[in-house]
Amino acid sequence: MSYRFGLDELFVVELARTVRDAEVVFHGFGSPCATVAMHLAKRTHAPHALLIEGATYAVNPSPAFIPPTSNDHSLKRGAAYSMRFEEAFDMSVRGDVDHMFLSGLQIDPYGNTNVTAVGRMPAPKVKLGGGGGGCNMSATIRRLTLWTTNHRSGRCLVERCDFITDIGHLTPEGTRSELGYTGGGPEVLVTELAVFDYPDGRARLRKLFPDVTLGDVTAATGFEFAVAADLAPVDTPSRHQIELVRAIDPLSVRRREFGPAELERTFRQ
Amino acid sequence: MAVHLAPDKLADLETAVAMVRPGSMVALGGGLSARLPMALVRGLIRAGIGDLHVVGSAHSLDVDLLAAAGAISVCEESYVGYEQDHGLAPAFRRAAEEGSLEARESCCDTILTQLRAAEMGLSFLPVHGVKGTDIEGLHPEYSRVACPFTGHEYVAVPPLAPDVALVHAPIGDRAGNLHIEQPYVLDERFAVASTMVVATVDRIVSTDEVARAGIVIPYYRVAAVAEAPFGAHPSSCYPGYAYDRDHLATWVAEARTAEGAEGYLRRYVTGVDEDGYRRLIGADRLEHLTGYRDSGGAWMEMFR
Repeated sequence: MSYRFGLDELFVVELARTVRDAEVVFHGFGSPCATVAMHLAKRTHAPHALLIEGATYAVNPSPAFIPPTSNDHSLKRGAAYSMRFEEAFDMSVRGDVDHMFLSGLQIDPYGNTNVTAVGRMPAPKVKLGGGGGGCNMSATIRRLTLWTTNHRSGRCLVERCDFITDIGHLTPEGTRSELGYTGGGPEVLVTELAVFDYPDGRARLRKLFPDVTLGDVTAATGFEFAVAADLAPVDTPSRHQIELVRAIDPLSVRRREFGPAELERTFRQ
Repeated sequence: MAVHLAPDKLADLETAVAMVRPGSMVALGGGLSARLPMALVRGLIRAGIGDLHVVGSAHSLDVDLLAAAGAISVCEESYVGYEQDHGLAPAFRRAAEEGSLEARESCCDTILTQLRAAEMGLSFLPVHGVKGTDIEGLHPEYSRVACPFTGHEYVAVPPLAPDVALVHAPIGDRAGNLHIEQPYVLDERFAVASTMVVATVDRIVSTDEVARAGIVIPYYRVAAVAEAPFGAHPSSCYPGYAYDRDHLATWVAEARTAEGAEGYLRRYVTGVDEDGYRRLIGADRLEHLTGYRDSGGAWMEMFR
């Protein structure tokens, strides 16, 4: 039997694939796709993951729906425990959190991200929201999954960030090891077009979404990138995964991360 | 970090607000869409108390309204905005881009560390990250320090001791004992690191009732407490009420222009007191926000 799914659902499934079983995983706030992906992973291939929920810091909750804000009590439903803010941040910076999702309005080839400002601080062209806990947590959490839903604009994957909020593999002050950072840095970057990895600390194209060509990715990317010898399309999600995405997020909060044209991208299996 | 031992801290909102001096460093309690000290923020704007240095972790309308009123000189928050839902904070953004407000962006974990330094009476503490980011360049008060044992070089941060922490709680007593629900965000740390807490509560109750619910901030940290029903609106204050997503959308739409933001302030802040504010929002609407408990379905429908 064939089934259909949207780009938003495919994107969430691809993010969920980066979660490993029995790891400690966290996403922070303002990231509904990452929220849905963590719950999808926990209900499928990563049942033993320790999931820290958004800005509630609730451990392993099973919310009935994902609200449009990450600090709402509805996200704490059924939680095994509510961490204090201090517990979640201490756990992150001492190196006991395995995996964090992180986004950026700008992302450079080394996975440094900018969520602070477009243009020069102070008095920038656009003041963005800000980095939350990222500039410490990105130094110490073991693995980072970066994501953006804004790759096609050509303004996101850039040669140089206007401002470095969160640390990738190489900053103007040196590499992660030169800076003495214990976290491993960005491992994967998932965009609405493609998936990159960082084998030598620099973004390499690894997978393409089914309706995207290498030319599309090159046109949208502001830096040179290597292409994996085994470049492949992303795996097709199962019907079960798609149904779970819809059940976890009945308000479709995940779709708010995408522009209207991207939401028209649908696939049939 | 003085203690506050007066037996009765109950004050009206105007008296509580007047304890915040112009030019103060003000810690804002709660975070994002939850338990923002909105009645106090509106009170500050009505009283024309400005030149504030605000600190906090991830915030939204509290900072945005103060920015719209021109009341902030330095904003040392880790994030100001409405997440993916309503996006950037229009008035904060405008003030930062014009340079009328200094966006001295910080990090949740750095702020936590600085508050702990203040709580412990230390002149600095190290943080794990920040090195290699451009956040460091926004903070000439940071330094570097080598660990005497390993030689590892850390970014060193000074203590952060706000003049006043503004906290909204669902319940508290006349002595100033406050109960809040998790997540406490930084409110416990603010309460100790700041010179005083100025609080509002949805309901003043007996000390026994606060104790049964659990005292999170003890009376001796609190200098004044005022009763302000729905004092966190349009943010949430569980177990009382959910956040008013539609009202936030109204603000974000109106605040796209400076004139729109001024119109909102006249209508919802300077033109009314808190009783008038609640009448403008409407008893039916406020009652609706308390209805989240009826069922999971009703809760979800609030956010559709």
